Amino acid sequence: MSRLDRVGAGVETALPGKRSKRWLFGLLPWVLLALALLLVFSQVRRPALLVDVWVPWIEVGTLAFVMTAIILTGGIDLSVGSMVALTGMVQAVLWQDWGWSIEAAAAGALLAGALAGGLNGLLVVAGLSPLVATLATMALYRGLAITVAGGERITGFPQSFLDMGRLLGVPSQFWLAGLIFLGMVLLVHHSRFGRWCFAMGDNRQAARFAAVPVNKVEGVLYTINGLVAASVAVLGAMRHDASIPDAHIGTELQVIACVVVGGTLITGGRGTVLRSLLGLAVISHLDVGLQFLSSRLVWLTAESRLIAIGILLILVAVWNQRSQKEN
Amino acid sequence: MKSEKLPILQAVDIRRTYPGVVALGGVSLDLFPGEVHALVGENGAGKSTLIKIICGALAPDSGELLFQGRAVAWPNPVAARTRGIVTVHQEPELFPTLSVAENMALAAGLPLRGSGLVDWNRVHRQARETVRQIGERIDVRRPASRLSVAHRQMIQVAAAILRNAKVVVLDEPTSALSGEEARWLFRQIERLKGGGAGILYISHRQEEIFRLADRITVLRDGLKVWTRARQAAGPEETIEAMVGRPASALEASPSSQASSPAIKEGPVRFQVSGFTDRGDRFRQIELEAGSGEIVGIYGLVGAGRSELARAVFGLRPADGLIRIDGSRCEIGRPREALNAGIAYVPEDRLSQGLCLGLPVRSNTVLSTLRRWTRRLLASRTREQQATRQVAGRLEVRYRSTEQPVQQLSGGNQQKVVLGRWLLAQPKVLILDEPTRGVDVGAKAEIHRHLRLLAREGCAILLISSELPEVMEHSDRVVVFREGEIAGEFDPRQAGPARVAAAALPRQSAEEASAAEARSTGPRFQGRSFNELALLICVAGLGLWLTVSTEGFSLLNLLTHTSLWAILGLAAATVIVGRGIDISIGSMVALSAACTAMVLKLPYSPELLIPSAILAGLLAGTAAGVLNSVLALLGGLHPIVVTLGTLTIYRGLVIAMLGGRPMTGLPPEFGKLAIDPATGFRGAVAVAALVVLLVYLWMAHTRSGRHVYALGSSPRAAGLLGLSRARLWPVTFGLGGLLAGVAGVLQLSMGQQMQARLGAGWELSAIAVAVIGGVGITGGRGTVLGVVLGALLLRLVNSALVRWGVSDQQTDLVVGSLILAALLLDLAWRGWER
Repeated sequence: MSRLDRVGAGVETALPGKRSKRWLFGLLPWVLLALALLLVFSQVRRPALLVDVWVPWIEVGTLAFVMTAIILTGGIDLSVGSMVALTGMVQAVLWQDWGWSIEAAAAGALLAGALAGGLNGLLVVAGLSPLVATLATMALYRGLAITVAGGERITGFPQSFLDMGRLLGVPSQFWLAGLIFLGMVLLVHHSRFGRWCFAMGDNRQAARFAAVPVNKVEGVLYTINGLVAASVAVLGAMRHDASIPDAHIGTELQVIACVVVGGTLITGGRGTVLRSLLGLAVISHLDVGLQFLSSRLVWLTAESRLIAIGILLILVAVWNQRSQKEN
Repeated sequence: MKSEKLPILQAVDIRRTYPGVVALGGVSLDLFPGEVHALVGENGAGKSTLIKIICGALAPDSGELLFQGRAVAWPNPVAARTRGIVTVHQEPELFPTLSVAENMALAAGLPLRGSGLVDWNRVHRQARETVRQIGERIDVRRPASRLSVAHRQMIQVAAAILRNAKVVVLDEPTSALSGEEARWLFRQIERLKGGGAGILYISHRQEEIFRLADRITVLRDGLKVWTRARQAAGPEETIEAMVGRPASALEASPSSQASSPAIKEGPVRFQVSGFTDRGDRFRQIELEAGSGEIVGIYGLVGAGRSELARAVFGLRPADGLIRIDGSRCEIGRPREALNAGIAYVPEDRLSQGLCLGLPVRSNTVLSTLRRWTRRLLASRTREQQATRQVAGRLEVRYRSTEQPVQQLSGGNQQKVVLGRWLLAQPKVLILDEPTRGVDVGAKAEIHRHLRLLAREGCAILLISSELPEVMEHSDRVVVFREGEIAGEFDPRQAGPARVAAAALPRQSAEEASAAEARSTGPRFQGRSFNELALLICVAGLGLWLTVSTEGFSLLNLLTHTSLWAILGLAAATVIVGRGIDISIGSMVALSAACTAMVLKLPYSPELLIPSAILAGLLAGTAAGVLNSVLALLGGLHPIVVTLGTLTIYRGLVIAMLGGRPMTGLPPEFGKLAIDPATGFRGAVAVAALVVLLVYLWMAHTRSGRHVYALGSSPRAAGLLGLSRARLWPVTFGLGGLLAGVAGVLQLSMGQQMQARLGAGWELSAIAVAVIGGVGITGGRGTVLGVVLGALLLRLVNSALVRWGVSDQQTDLVVGSLILAALLLDLAWRGWER
């Protein structure tokens, strides 16, 4: 008797009204997106022409999808931008100075990316704070990118290579982004690996005590990040016909901004890849829309765009934090 | 007899509600001088809330607190403590990176000298006196993280005695103490009583309560059930009053001795032999457990029981053989242990057992995910089914499988951890203090389930510091002593006294403390080592450069270093308080831009230059304070905030410049940093002044030390009334001010303001701090270290130029230097441990 009694006594019912509020809180990014879309399409007559304008942002997004998983585990990778630059230079140097075929050089770039990401992973696994460790490698990889070719940009890739920059009339960056997005959604939300990520982000020690292979998860994630950075670099070289040592400075901040605006907790344990796509959509549309608008409004200069994006980042982050508390 | 005295502390009709929960619904309690008043109740009965209100950590919604007959309202715990109310918390919150002495002094407020600076001599003297009380040899200058939990509690009690506390609140004081240490505690309680102090004693342990208490108060569901003199309250009635139902109903479980069939060991399931810890916490352990057997492992805290459990589970390196069902297992990682059929319920539920923010489902299925995964795809439905099934079996009370586990009560949380391992269908289940901090009802249920599990053939190792628990619920008791097995007992035959005696150390107390002193004796301190190493590097490189380079000028070196030292300190002050500011570069630019704007105004230089500098410094400070305010108001991580303000401040700078660099600043302004006529280096003088002031503030003032305390442990700081809301505006503001100083100096040296000024400097600033030994997780670092870090960075740069390495490789060098510093620090900390 007492058993049933006690089980029943402990069951609480959900408080009414909470769900509706939660729904309201989730709405903000969508409203922002709608506004940003409106802004873009009010400025452009033929949106199809815009595809190319979006390529830099798509690159940011591709990196943001992987970064979401890393931030979910409670980590961060500040060295992404430097890794893109470094792997791009590695490819160019292998092709130009070492006489490798361009395909082999691209493979070499991917290998370099995996190595660079793997080193990040190793440092984090060794017990360094991801923030500082990748801060160090950010400088290190940037330095290497500048050193390998003496700070010069390398151009003049073969035409066959450049032709791969578009697939079915769409810049290859879009295909890569789609692929990585799907892959990360599956990995983070529908696999054992993803469950481990969430547990680690919430409480790393408890995850370890529950036999979660924390080192493996971190090692794999940072390596994937290096690989994806290298893929972005290879596609970037196709598009621009150049590898540039000081490319992608500050990219890490844009990437993190997408993740944060999407609503992923910077301290880990909560967030989704889909929301990072939303974050990307909001920031990129706003940026592109303002770019177009600036041709008509004199006061809308590059700096006011910067300020707008900074304010947006803080506002949305505050909103997300509030909505987390509300739940 | 007591009624003649006035109560020293009275709580009158205290009410306190949390959203949706009434924690205290009008509780009154009085405490007389010279009495021990026990406060008992299940978890969630309101004991902790009442203690928090008494010690000033929480304010009541209504009701009055009378101290020595007068109504009081504590603004924070420090206020209560200075009036003589000392609270010893169950798990004392410490500042792990601060010294033992400073930890003791912080609670009562650091003593000051006449000059307003902290009196460190007094801090250390008082600490040594306290430690002497315990009769242990502890170096009070060492970081507190090296103290055992038992020592932490004992030190707090000793401090209470020395400070002539009037009221001492002891919250589960014996949960981490060994028998010997508990007896010491009881002696001290007698001493406090004799001295006229009132003692409020909270414990789950019946035998302690009935041994110590003069009066007993029972709380249930936020209300007082009764207060009685010890003689008038029997153990049975007390439990009944606590749980609100007859005690007999709770114990009617198969675990009671009478109903348990005298199982002799089935086939041996689990066996370790020659098991030796690489950290020497246990040696040559031979232990086996049969199928269906519950082996109780008893011993004092620190006897090596928990370490053994962790080593078996692959969380600690150890040598020796582990056999499961007769076959040998190699276990180096938890995953291998899991696959071998070993499960481990850790000692500390909150920090080691659960992911508190994740739902019940995720926590329950965490270790068995593979079973709910099909074709590499995880399934929430299957996970929910598994969760419901095991939660039903363990009678977990929860609302839904998607409810965050932190909303569950302690007992139910422990059941979730247990359920996780039941799903793994272990052959061997190791439980480390499974019922610590769990209420009576849930405790009995957990014990019943352990027995059921054993019946199914599992071998169970039950580690506990509670003698009654191992005596009542195990088939065999193994006693640990100083890392070795001291004996094996049949709990049905051996009396508790014999078992307890076996656990006592063989050495006399003096020998033991001498051994402790030997093993933990004075060693080279980690922090000073760091600075020494830096100093050697700096001196070596500096000497080599002076000798080998023509025209190498120390003054030039210092001039160039000054900027980096200031920036490094800007990063360091924020990081030490557990913040981070990545907008430093933009703040430098913002300050420089403000200064430049004012300098361009058409007034005389004498008037302009001071006001321009002031404008720059103000802009930097304001920007820094804004960062902290945004982080605090928005509840945001400072990385996110400063990521946003980094772009905002930069945008402002570009807008102020209007796209063109600003040149043609007054030449007098340029002479401030370096005066070519007289050779005077204003930059060096300013940097020296800044370094001196920041050093005095951080190392020798109360507020500076509070920043360290906050960085070291925000929770412990909270108990002292120190919060981010109070300290972050100061640290971020100071960071901004220093960035402003750097901005003005840079403008003066460069004589030109352009939009990219300072871009990326935040990274170098953080690099200088990290190379200088500032711990990125807060609470660690010294001003001297940062200055040396800046010098080293500058010298390495000069050395590279000397070697003919181009300027472009600065990044490479900075990156490698940070990495080297980090790895060295890591290696050093690992070795020290």
